[in-house]
Amino acid sequence: MTDIRIPPDLWEDDREGVIVSWLYLDGAIVEAGKVVVELAVEKAQMELVAPTSGRLVILAAADAIVTRGQVIGRIE
Amino acid sequence: MAAPPNASSAGQSDRILTMARAGREAVISEMRKDSKVFVIGEDVGKLGGIFGTAVGVQEEFGFWRAIDTPISETGFIGIACGAAMAGMRPLVELAYVDFFGVCFNQIYNFAAKTHYMSGGQYKMPMTMMIGVGGGYNNAAQHSQTVYGTFAHMPGIRIVVPSNAYDAKGLMHSCIQDDNLTLWMVHKATCGLGWLGAPLKTAMAAVPETDYLIPFGEARVWREGTDVTLVGLGLTVHHCLQAADLLAASGISAEVVDLRSLVPLDRETIFRSVSKTGRLVVVDEDYLSFGVTGEIIASISERDPRVWKAPPRRVAYPDVPVPFSRPLEDFCMPDAQKVVAAVKSIMVSQ
Repeated sequence: MTDIRIPPDLWEDDREGVIVSWLYLDGAIVEAGKVVVELAVEKAQMELVAPTSGRLVILAAADAIVTRGQVIGRIE
Repeated sequence: MAAPPNASSAGQSDRILTMARAGREAVISEMRKDSKVFVIGEDVGKLGGIFGTAVGVQEEFGFWRAIDTPISETGFIGIACGAAMAGMRPLVELAYVDFFGVCFNQIYNFAAKTHYMSGGQYKMPMTMMIGVGGGYNNAAQHSQTVYGTFAHMPGIRIVVPSNAYDAKGLMHSCIQDDNLTLWMVHKATCGLGWLGAPLKTAMAAVPETDYLIPFGEARVWREGTDVTLVGLGLTVHHCLQAADLLAASGISAEVVDLRSLVPLDRETIFRSVSKTGRLVVVDEDYLSFGVTGEIIASISERDPRVWKAPPRRVAYPDVPVPFSRPLEDFCMPDAQKVVAAVKSIMVSQ
């Protein structure tokens, strides 16, 4: 089981971000290295890849407010 | 035919993409297959396009295939026209459709007519990527759709995808076509973070492989028997929402998504209205002289006996798009306005 964590240095200050969308449904099988989620901080858009292959568990749904370092999902 | 637009169950490796991402996937795939395809326009290189359709393109293909231009629409659309005549396949980013005013001569006198006027000697395999529509307080010069303005001009193929699956398939069709094509996407559907959370019904399961969606094929999203709701782009989502609300009042609405404006699938619309006898056309372009009137006229011309009630139009009032949020909300088509229009013709029975 591996966490999908927003890297603590993904953006520079303590602003809040938002989950724009997950590219897979909760429970989908995803491949390591594929983009799984898009985030936005103000107008900047960012993406995170699956850290490993497996079944995606979404912990912070689209529209959720998030902060740096937060665990937003995991791969089982 | 097309896969269902929305994936409903997990467990598959189906990716649920935003429209911006789906369109971009088609762009990148076509660029890998054909070195004649390139992107040109304002902010397409470093930024990847204001609406995200060219993100990563310059990184992968280099400066000369993702060309950032000065703010001169006439200049870079002229460059693209010349390149297309010389055998290249340019993808031009117009960004906001409202900017067409600067460069309309290049578009409709030159790009749209050169194939015809050269007796077929010059093809114009050029695609324009265009963001349209309002609803986010960007005022009168950044909020229009002007579908009718372009659809009125012979020589241009126009697609208006409403969801990610169609966005990708139609982008492939546009790039592979030898004519001037317009890929017009409503900003509220494209799924960019800075425009708010993506519209759920605009996101869709999108295969990683290439696929084409033919021009001129509307999609019936939902079957119904009492009234036909016709929409394009964002208004398809208003229609779907309205159909849910109407179902709760016992009214069965059929929802038709045009997908292509030119060529227009008059056959599918006629077949639907022949069944329901009632029609509400929902369009974010201005009410007068536009898409809504064209669709209604084409039904009446073919067979006026299909009407059980007068057709209705839910469109943008003939005024510049207001900046003020309450005023803009008042003007924008939405599901409630569609429901009211339907109820007005159900009552008349």
